[in-house]
Amino acid sequence: MAVNLTELSLPQLEGLKSQLDQETEFLSSSIAQLKVVQTKYVEAKDSLNVLRKSNEGKELLVPLTSSMYVPGTLNDVEHVLINVGTGYFVEKNVEDGKDFFKRKIDFLTKQIEKIQPTLQEKYAMKQAVVEVMNMKLQQLHSQQTSQSGTTKA
Amino acid sequence: MADAIQKKLQSELEKYQQIQKDVSKSMSARQKLEAQLTENNIVKEELDLLDSQNTVYKLIGPVLVKQDLDEAKATVAKRLEYINGEIKRYETLLKEMERKSEQHREVLASLQQEFQRAQGLPAGKA
Repeated sequence: MAVNLTELSLPQLEGLKSQLDQETEFLSSSIAQLKVVQTKYVEAKDSLNVLRKSNEGKELLVPLTSSMYVPGTLNDVEHVLINVGTGYFVEKNVEDGKDFFKRKIDFLTKQIEKIQPTLQEKYAMKQAVVEVMNMKLQQLHSQQTSQSGTTKA
Repeated sequence: MADAIQKKLQSELEKYQQIQKDVSKSMSARQKLEAQLTENNIVKEELDLLDSQNTVYKLIGPVLVKQDLDEAKATVAKRLEYINGEIKRYETLLKEMERKSEQHREVLASLQQEFQRAQGLPAGKA
């Protein structure tokens, strides 16, 4: 479906531009969301590094709310409960937990890489549409000035 | 003559807009199902990686309840089946609605032409 942009009328180009605007908006917000989730997983994976044998039995402060902490001791450095989605939690050991987060991070990276080229493509298309629109506007403008010039003369 | 056509045009337009509204409603419902499908597929993949050593908990309200791995797998499989069925249902629904809206569009276009002709005639005579 190769459509020559220069053959479209201004209102058509306007419509195409707003459609492309919407699409780029949607795609970039999707990427932003994926990146937010990815950061969460990276943080979770990093925090697993604290669960070492050497830290077993150490004291720590557990946040009950964001402004209140209670003292506790680190009892179990081998197991973590991981939310795998739709309300299911799985007990895994630390190594499996790290694998889990690594898998998730890789998955998200792949998704982002899938979207990125489409976004760039849409962006380039938008640029082309804007260019053609500017060209048409200029043409219209010069036509109008030459017309008003002849009526005056 | 033009008035009668205008009224008809108006009511047709309303019908058409109603269909368009229904279409977008079904579209967003379908999108939601798609998201659920993806999420459940991810959960299924995760559960498939587990063995009987892993304990599975299900979040019910604020409480985590221990659950059998096989039971969890069965629940997710059933959910996937249901969601797939729903998506198929919406797909046929959407196809039907698109067909209808296409019909309405044609009727609208012909009515519009008629209206323009009816409007143009008396003005041309005058």
